[in-house]
Amino acid sequence: MVRLLDRGLEQLTVMVYKSGEIAKSAINMAISGFMNGKNAMDDVRDLSDVLNSMTVEIENKAFELIAKYQPVASDLRIINSYMKVAYDFERYGRYAWDISFTHKKLGELCECTVGSDLMSKLAEKVSLMVGKSVEALRQQDAELAKTLADTENEVDELYFKYLDQLSKSRVQNKAVMCNLLLSRYLERIADHTTYVGEAVVYIATGEKISLR
Amino acid sequence: MKMPWTKKSTNETEATSVEETVLTSEKMQSVNLNAWFGEKQALIDINLPVKANAVTAIIGPSGCGKSTLIRCFNRMHELVPNARMSGKVLLDGKNIYASDVDPVLIRRRVGMVFQKPNPFPTMSIYDNVAAGLKLSGVKKGRNLDEIVERSLKQATLWDEVKDDLKKFGTSISGGQQQRLCIARAIALEPEVILMDEPCSALDPIATAKIEELIVSLKRDYTVVIVTHNMQQAARVSDFTAFMYLGKLVEFGDTDGIFEDPKNELTEKYITGKFG
Repeated sequence: MVRLLDRGLEQLTVMVYKSGEIAKSAINMAISGFMNGKNAMDDVRDLSDVLNSMTVEIENKAFELIAKYQPVASDLRIINSYMKVAYDFERYGRYAWDISFTHKKLGELCECTVGSDLMSKLAEKVSLMVGKSVEALRQQDAELAKTLADTENEVDELYFKYLDQLSKSRVQNKAVMCNLLLSRYLERIADHTTYVGEAVVYIATGEKISLR
Repeated sequence: MKMPWTKKSTNETEATSVEETVLTSEKMQSVNLNAWFGEKQALIDINLPVKANAVTAIIGPSGCGKSTLIRCFNRMHELVPNARMSGKVLLDGKNIYASDVDPVLIRRRVGMVFQKPNPFPTMSIYDNVAAGLKLSGVKKGRNLDEIVERSLKQATLWDEVKDDLKKFGTSISGGQQQRLCIARAIALEPEVILMDEPCSALDPIATAKIEELIVSLKRDYTVVIVTHNMQQAARVSDFTAFMYLGKLVEFGDTDGIFEDPKNELTEKYITGKFG
């Protein structure tokens, strides 16, 4: 039996998946920009703006479905989780823009000689986590979502190691400042991927867990 | 093969012998409860706890046995010709179907409010509330007046009818009539109030008032409500039981049932995927 609610849920799902793909593109664009020394601030800002509007649209749609159909059980879990996930994708976009902006304003990775290998690893892992969070949502795969917890621990480890290296370094220039901020943004993105992962687990199993 | 309904030929109920009181924390509890209408089995091995001073909602599609179950809770089921039951229903740990139990007293301790408001048509508002009390021997006077007033206040109807107590019970609106019926049930000071779809004949405003009343009643009473309205069950109840084809499929706290039901049938029913 096709319910009236099903059509609305389908529309909402399409909106959230699209938002996830845009968020992933924004982050990959920003990371690739500073890794390769080619800034993409304007493009990333455009994507971030799109994500902001999409979050509002997703919220509006979610409220409409709640008001019209008073959903319960898995329907309500999906709507509730989509609203949270939409916010996390908006944050992906905002951090992507922060990365591009900082990179343009303060310098390039290649100018900073301190711990650049750690920075590359950090960026690589965060990019991987973003892709995995979007994929887990698409597949509603709780097991895949749970694997984000391990990678998040690795990201934290790299981040603190990197902070340690920077604090001990005698080099004090704008590239160091730049990387300090970039690493912080990356660490925050990694946190948000785990929030997405938690939402996926909740949708798929009804279980409320922490992946941090 | 001997079928369950071949045990008794008429509308006899299996009155069990005098029994010890069972130690239980539940106000009421059905134990392996089965019920039949003639040869048709309406309830199959129902084990349902009813917590004291809480609202328990019973939901499920039409014909699943919800009303039959609550009618077994105050021995009204046996009043239907060819109806019978087996198993136990415990009230404070004592089987209400034991041979030494008077069904009339049980119906006084376990009151019932029906789907359609049914005030006594020839009686005034006052007399509707006082009728059960008078039958129980309470004489006219201050005491009766006090009980009527208190019952109408508890049913949140007093302010609306205090100047019209002599008017016919049927002269007020449907929602008010239903609250009058609740006042009538409360007047007898029952311990448990059973409600069989008490809002199905009411408009949304009257429904909201009854729902507020149900929530407030649990301070003093144990409430069991049968409802087709799942949002109503979610709004007013602390515990929810889902029944299907005469069986209890799932029972749990209402938040859990409506957020993350454990049984696929419950999930499908409450999300409107069948029913």
